Amino acid sequence: MYIISIIFTKIVNKVITTFRLGSGNTWPGHLVLKLNPYIWKDIKKSLPERVAFITGTNGKTTTSKMLRHILEKQGMHVLHNETGANLLNGVVSSILLHSDLRGSLPYEAAVFELDEFTLPVLIKHIKPQVVAFLNLSRDQLDRHWELDVVLEKWQKVVRHMSHEQGLILDRTVSNLRLLAESFSGETSFFDDDLQILSGTGLKGDFNAKNANCALILAEKLGVPGPEAEKSLQDFAYAYGRGEKTLYADRNWQILLAKNPESMNQNLKLIQAENSSTDTILYILNDNIPDGLDVSWIYDIDPKQLRAASRSKKVYVSGKRALDMAIRLQYSGVDVVKENVSSNLREVVNKMIGDGHVRKILVLPNYSAMLAIRKILVGRKIL
Amino acid sequence: MKMTIAYFYPQELNLYGDTGNVEILVARAKSREISVNVVEVGAQDKPDSYFMKNVDLVFMGGGPDSGQKQMYKDLIENKGPLLKEYIENDGIALFICGSYQLMGHYYLSADGSELKGLGVYDMYTQHFGHQKKRCVGNIVCRLHASLLEDPVFKAVNHTGDSLVGFENHGGRTYLAKSLTPLARVMSGYGNNAEDKTEGLHYKNSLGTYLHGPLLSKNPHLADYLIAKALGLEKLASLDDNIINTAHSALEKRFT
Repeated sequence: MYIISIIFTKIVNKVITTFRLGSGNTWPGHLVLKLNPYIWKDIKKSLPERVAFITGTNGKTTTSKMLRHILEKQGMHVLHNETGANLLNGVVSSILLHSDLRGSLPYEAAVFELDEFTLPVLIKHIKPQVVAFLNLSRDQLDRHWELDVVLEKWQKVVRHMSHEQGLILDRTVSNLRLLAESFSGETSFFDDDLQILSGTGLKGDFNAKNANCALILAEKLGVPGPEAEKSLQDFAYAYGRGEKTLYADRNWQILLAKNPESMNQNLKLIQAENSSTDTILYILNDNIPDGLDVSWIYDIDPKQLRAASRSKKVYVSGKRALDMAIRLQYSGVDVVKENVSSNLREVVNKMIGDGHVRKILVLPNYSAMLAIRKILVGRKIL
Repeated sequence: MKMTIAYFYPQELNLYGDTGNVEILVARAKSREISVNVVEVGAQDKPDSYFMKNVDLVFMGGGPDSGQKQMYKDLIENKGPLLKEYIENDGIALFICGSYQLMGHYYLSADGSELKGLGVYDMYTQHFGHQKKRCVGNIVCRLHASLLEDPVFKAVNHTGDSLVGFENHGGRTYLAKSLTPLARVMSGYGNNAEDKTEGLHYKNSLGTYLHGPLLSKNPHLADYLIAKALGLEKLASLDDNIINTAHSALEKRFT
């Protein structure tokens, strides 16, 4: 049955990607789970001993990519749901698609970034060697309407973990301390020590946190600290998370800003870098993966918005371009109505029609990030 | 001219960008050369009736369960009587989501437990648990005549006769027949997803489920509150081109 599921997954993936029917990284797993709910027993057997779970509101993708990078430098083959398909269907798809036809997974480690609600479900089926809870802040409030609910679920997870499993938390996040108290083993903490970023091309407190966390994760999976740190030197940004690209002879950098916390962090980074950026493009969508409610833009610090946008050209797009334009106006940012349009292609064309627009920072939320990548890089994800 | 806004429980009750409403009131008042003093009144603070006499506008948002637990006792024991007196004496106020619910008689949880409210508004709220789904989504509603026919509202309204916003609440609120709702639901849930009412207009206070930056796309309501708070008959109009475009675009998209 397991082998059939694997073959089925591969076929469904092929069909979906060939005919562009949707995401080949989620649908196969979705269908398999419906057809064969007992598949977890076989999946468990096929997984390597080294399994890491990473969750949190922000930094999941970057941290898991860092961990993968470190492990691969050690010569390991690493299974990783790198496309950010971080629900159960994405995890199952990723496992089955990478299994061989004898039902085994030719990998020495598995790194899964998981949605805040998925980790509590997945951990009932798979026992990770180490779990990292990065942070917890407001995000997609129409879905995760209360942080308390998430925290309660996480607490339950930690209570059921055995003491020999690793638990990693951010030392600076006070609302997660509860988790350490509920854990029977010894918790490891990371912080925002910037030292770790020297020698890498990475910037910002939040990337320092991601890197410090990745280091502890690697250590728990058997990679000594100094070696792990060295391998981060040539780490490249994950897609849409600081990614730089050249398009229409202009320099673009995409900084995913999907909730108040990540937007505030990015705005601080823009000011600290004091770079030659001359233009900012804000893109705000309200598609399902973004959350339908855009109220969160009023939790962005208006002073940061104003300071980061100062003496730069400002363009605004996305399905909620007007909402974002209003938020910018109320923060004291000059917004020209002609530079605001929900049609992203049109805004990009307008930008490249302006000779003074040379170096652009793009601040999109999630589906907006995929949309701008499609234009600038030619594809949404990888 | 000077306006004092008392922002109650800014730490505990600010789940959906509620602070944005205060930010917007301040910005719009300042554009009319009105200086604004925002006084944050937290659970630790002890305002008295002398303080309340100098308040022009009261604002209170909604919060997560944990936030409401933190301020509930203080509201009932300390600030409740002051707020009640303020509202009954025609004070200008805006209550959103959680704080709106607390102005009623009680909140009945799905497990049957009852949380007493201030009883200023003749209404109650009930959470039906899994029996009825949570009211989440974009909402468009048409303002009630009580506002539309108010000369002050007429003077400041350059936007239209509807409100656009987003709601997200598990509890459903039922008004006594004699009360005037704030608006009538055109699309969305409103007070209880049954009788098409949304919010409440009681004396000079407003309660609503339109959370977060309700005032961001409803400048007519923001200006109405400012004018009322200062006893003005009208306000200088502002360049609301983008805002009014957004208002009509959202109205069109969600009805």
